[in-house]
Amino acid sequence: MGSRPGRSPGFPLIASLRLDRTVRIGVTGLARAGKTSFLTSLGANLLALGAGVPCLPALQVPTLQGVRLAPAGASEMPRFDLGRHLAALAADPPAWPERTESVGLLALELSFRRGAVPLPPRRLRLEFLDYPGEWLLDLPLLRLSYADWSAATLRRLEGQEQAVEFLRFAEALPSRAGADETLASTGQRLYRACLLRLRDEAGLSMLQPGRFLMPPPGAEPPWMGFFPARAGGAFGELLARRYAAYVEQVRAELVSPLFGSVDRIVVLADLLSALHAGPAAFGDARAALAAAAAALRWQVSWEELLGQLAQLRLPKVIRRVAFAATKSDHVAERQRGNLAALVGGLTGQPGRVVEGRFAIAAVRCTEDIVWTLEGHPVSAVRGRALGEATLTRSYPGEVPAQVPDEGAPEAGFWAHRFLALPRFEPLRLPEGGRGGVASLGLDRLLAFLLEDVL
Amino acid sequence: MSGEAGDRVATPPMVSPRIEREAALSARLEPEPMLPALVPRRRRGAPVLALAGLTVLALGFALLGAGNFVADQFARGRVLGWLTLAVAVAGFGLLFVGIARELRGLLALRSVDRLRAELLGQDAGRRVRAARRWVAGLPDASAHAGLLVAIESANDPDAVLALLHAGPGATLTARSDALGRIAAVQLVAGLAATPSASLAVLLVSWRGLRLLRQVAELHGLRPGLLGTLALVRRTVLAASAVAATEILGNAAAHALLSNPLLAHLAGEMAGAGVGARRMMVLARAAAAACSPLSGREGR
Repeated sequence: MGSRPGRSPGFPLIASLRLDRTVRIGVTGLARAGKTSFLTSLGANLLALGAGVPCLPALQVPTLQGVRLAPAGASEMPRFDLGRHLAALAADPPAWPERTESVGLLALELSFRRGAVPLPPRRLRLEFLDYPGEWLLDLPLLRLSYADWSAATLRRLEGQEQAVEFLRFAEALPSRAGADETLASTGQRLYRACLLRLRDEAGLSMLQPGRFLMPPPGAEPPWMGFFPARAGGAFGELLARRYAAYVEQVRAELVSPLFGSVDRIVVLADLLSALHAGPAAFGDARAALAAAAAALRWQVSWEELLGQLAQLRLPKVIRRVAFAATKSDHVAERQRGNLAALVGGLTGQPGRVVEGRFAIAAVRCTEDIVWTLEGHPVSAVRGRALGEATLTRSYPGEVPAQVPDEGAPEAGFWAHRFLALPRFEPLRLPEGGRGGVASLGLDRLLAFLLEDVL
Repeated sequence: MSGEAGDRVATPPMVSPRIEREAALSARLEPEPMLPALVPRRRRGAPVLALAGLTVLALGFALLGAGNFVADQFARGRVLGWLTLAVAVAGFGLLFVGIARELRGLLALRSVDRLRAELLGQDAGRRVRAARRWVAGLPDASAHAGLLVAIESANDPDAVLALLHAGPGATLTARSDALGRIAAVQLVAGLAATPSASLAVLLVSWRGLRLLRQVAELHGLRPGLLGTLALVRRTVLAASAVAATEILGNAAAHALLSNPLLAHLAGEMAGAGVGARRMMVLARAAAAACSPLSGREGR
């Protein structure tokens, strides 16, 4: 873990003279990782912390004076609806926040006393940008040509039941077809339907291009009309040109004022559900996380730097990345260390970027128990499943401390079952969420992300 | 146990995984209570303790002396005893009523601090209760009946503050400014008609104190002598913040009105102009000292 908890400024006077600043943090994740719940819990807990509730113990900031929702100003970015999502969690019976289908911004303003210096309080504006996980997987496209991407994608789709229809179409394409718009739009429609089915039915994450699954606001531009194919000739050129335009758009958004100023990022993944889904789904999550990690570690080369500066653009620099496995409260405390280690195994060795690996539960749903099974005491959890009036005990299986071997699915970890996680309801929220949201590991993750600015 | 010890995966589970529902009904699970951080209690200073001791001694011995005296008078004669008792009860009664009023005035000033702390906190329940209490305690509370409904229905803690700033906060600031302007005009007229400098000092002091009490009453406070003294102290503290914004205007007024030509033309009117400007600053500072909304930007 790259964090250095408990670091305090060596020179209090200099620390108290620090200027107001804005820190923009991208929050992204693989499908169904719990991004909306994460943002809701984070906002509620920071607001409660500002009111003096010790809900984030690892985030010790004695000079913190208050936290409030910052005004959105004249920004065109939709505001993350914290109140609505918090109300859903606090309701009785509770409901999990609905899946967000658009980008959103949660802005909080923290004010700090300046100690002995008689100046107005220092203000820190934290902007959490709900960055679609699907878009994160577009970053690796920046380094792939259309031919390479098509070959890799078609290879990955082979054998997938949900991709049969599209693959038949792609194979039936004449190798020297003309630049026909009807063919392009039909192929794109089939490919998008295939991606949606792979996400919703097979639970896969490594699905590119991400904007096909989560389109940006506004009308769809013509250059979105492409799909992976081995076609050559004029039709192949048309698809390649459109792919290049798509990649250029991804590149332009990376340096846009909105996304370009993100200097730290949180990547969430629901690894426990992937462990249940089996080696194929786990392998997909592994590929997606590895691709995201590699893209985030990408350092700008000299040629690219000069090229971007020539176009009056500033290169993107991500300073800190936190990879977190979510829903860690669905396994007992004994296994949460394994879960964090598993994230580390999936994301590889940290590069020059400061990285942290965590196992978190943004909204805690369970309590730890010792359950006697087959005469053995077993660490397990229990909670109330959504819509039920009784408690459910859960011991879904063992979380491996290392990445399970994909090559031998009949042996090792995959020889044993890992059960589907029950859909628990959140613990009761004190004071309707104003007293914070019970969580696990969220405080350590925040302390890691913000230790250099608090 | 599987026999693949030493391979790269975790130790396989000893028991089969399982998920089971318990039979008994259960309420929704509660989180573990979070203990609030301990806040050290503020200790009373030595001068306060000494003053309190002196007050207890003076009042206690006076009461004991009066009791002994009444008992002696009863020994001398029944009528004389009752008469002395009536005089003692009336005298001490008035004294205690006066003290009670002073204390109430002082406590009212303390309640401003408490209200301010609650309004600045993030606890929505406490914020709504504090807002309701403050609005209900204002002299023209009936005019804010609609505001109370809006406060009750506001779901956002920041919205409650915004409502208070836009409603009674803005009204009180405008009225305090109006009181400051009236005091300024009266001061200019009074100084022009004052024959000596010592009388001018007296006039400025008296008008300043009166303005303080007027602004305090506008905010629902009725300070007595001690309360006024405490208010003066608070106003001086608040003035340091208010003066920071007023200082440019003040300096400009001083430069303009104190120049030799203007002084020659208007005589002492230039000094009166600066004094008048100070009355307006004083009104702002007193309003800041009396308003629980003054601890936050946005005023």
